[in-house]
Amino acid sequence: MRLKPGEQPTRRLAHLWNEAACIGCAACVISCTATNNPEMLYRADEGRGGVASNIRRYEGVTAQGRPTLLLNQCAHCDEAPCMKTCPFGAVYRDENGLVRLDSRRCAGCRYCVTSCPYNARWVHPDTGLPMKCMGRGCLALVAAGQKPACVQACPANARDFGDLNDPESSVSRTLRTKRHRTLLPNSGAKPKYFIVEEV
Amino acid sequence: MSELPPLVFQAPVADWGWQIAWFFWFVAIGGGLAVAYWQVRRAAVAFTVFVATALGLLLVFFHLGRWWNMPLVLWELIRAGEFNLGSWMFLGVIILTVHLLLGALAAYAHAEDVGIYPPFGDRVREMTEGALFRGVFAANGVLSVVYSGFLLTQAHGIPLWGTALIPILWLISSAVAAVAVLELFYVLGLVDERVSVAGMKLALGLDALKLIAVLAFLHVSLTAMSAAARAGAEELVSGSLAWLTWGGVIGLGLAVPILLAALMLRYGKSKGLIAVSAVSSLAGVLFLRASVLLAGAWEPLLG
Repeated sequence: MRLKPGEQPTRRLAHLWNEAACIGCAACVISCTATNNPEMLYRADEGRGGVASNIRRYEGVTAQGRPTLLLNQCAHCDEAPCMKTCPFGAVYRDENGLVRLDSRRCAGCRYCVTSCPYNARWVHPDTGLPMKCMGRGCLALVAAGQKPACVQACPANARDFGDLNDPESSVSRTLRTKRHRTLLPNSGAKPKYFIVEEV
Repeated sequence: MSELPPLVFQAPVADWGWQIAWFFWFVAIGGGLAVAYWQVRRAAVAFTVFVATALGLLLVFFHLGRWWNMPLVLWELIRAGEFNLGSWMFLGVIILTVHLLLGALAAYAHAEDVGIYPPFGDRVREMTEGALFRGVFAANGVLSVVYSGFLLTQAHGIPLWGTALIPILWLISSAVAAVAVLELFYVLGLVDERVSVAGMKLALGLDALKLIAVLAFLHVSLTAMSAAARAGAEELVSGSLAWLTWGGVIGLGLAVPILLAALMLRYGKSKGLIAVSAVSSLAGVLFLRASVLLAGAWEPLLG
C-alpha cells in the first residue's frame, strides 16, 4: 500500500549485514537474482558489470594489504532521495517502510538511479525498469511472514531482516548490542541498511 | 591510504550521456533565444526557439527507457491527482511544455514573414509583440535553462553535480549560445548589422564570464570533500575526458571565439570569421554539457 504524504509506516523493515561474520560466498547475491529476477541468472548487468543482482559486491585492499569486502543494496532510506526526485511519483514508501516502485508510473528516466547516493539500482535490459531490493520474489516471501531470500540463503547467518519499530525484533536487538554503521552517514538520506562490525 | 576500487561512472548505468547533452544544448538555445526575442523580434529567432525546444523534448522523450509507457504514466497521475512538485524533472516537463507552446505562438505570429498567412495571424502577432508575452517568454526561457541545471544538482548520487555553479554555468553558456545563433543569423542575412555589433562585444564579455565559471567549477570540484567529485574533476582536467575539457570546452568553445573576436575588433569584421566563431561557441556549449555529464560518478562506498 502506498503511503500518502505525511503518513507514517506502521513498521520500519530494515536489512542488516554482519561484515565480521560474512564469509564472502555470494550466496545472498545469487539467491537474490534467482528469487527476484531469475531471467537474469545467466545475463550480466551490462551497466555496472557482474551479476544482475539487487545486492552489489565491492572488493578492495586496505593500506595494510588486507582484503576487504562490502555488500551493498537499497537501504530503504527514511529520507529517500529517489522518492523526492521521481517526476511521476513512481517511487513510493509502503506501510512497512520499504521504498518501492510502481511500474505503471515509471517512464524510465533513471533520475532515481542518479539520485541514489548508494548506486543501489540497476536498469533491467528488457523492461527498462530501475531494479533494486526488494524484488517481487522477496516481497512475496515477506508478505508470507518469511525472511527475504538473501537472509535465508546465508550459510553464516550474516544477514538479518526485521522491524526497527519492534524493540524485540532480532535486528533491533543486534543494533542495540553490537557496534554497527551505515554507509555515507552524511548523505542526509537516513539509510536503513546496517553493517554490523562484530560477531 | 586504502586502495580504492575504481569509480562507478553514471553514464554506463544511468545512460545520462551525449543524448542528454544534446537535450541540454537545445534547451540552452531555446531558452537563450527566448530572452533575445525581447529585443530581436525576428521570424528566425521565433522559429529557432520552437524548433530547438521541440527537438530537445523529442530527444529526451526517446531517451526514456520506457517512453511507450507515458500514456499510462499520465493517466495514473491524473487518476490519482498526485503530482510531485518537489521534483525538478516534473517541473521541467511543465516548463518545457509551456516553452514549446510559447515558441509555437511566437512562430505562428511570424508566419507572415515567410509567406504563410494563417487564421488569426494578426491577433497572435499583436499579442506576441506585447511586453507581457515577451516578458513571460523570456522568463520561461531563463527558467528552462535553470531547470536543466537544477536537474543535475538534485541528483544526490553524483557529488560532482551537487554545486550551484552548474545552473549558473548553464545560464552563462545559454547566453553564449543565443549570441552565437544571432551571429549566425547575421551571416545568413536574417538579422541586421546592429544586432551583430552588439553581439560581438556581448559575446566577448560572456566568454570571459564563462571561462571564469568553468575554471571555478573545476577548482571547486578538484578541492571538494567528496572523492567522487574530485575524481570526476581529475578526469576532466587530466584524465580520459581531458580532450573534451581542453579541446572542446576551453579550446573550441572559448579560446577560438575570444581570439577571433579580438582579431575582428582589431582588424574589422569578417562574415567568415563570425561564422567560424559562432559554430565554435555552439560546439563549446555542447561539449561543456557533455563533459559535466560524463564525469559524473558515485561516491566510492569502500575505502
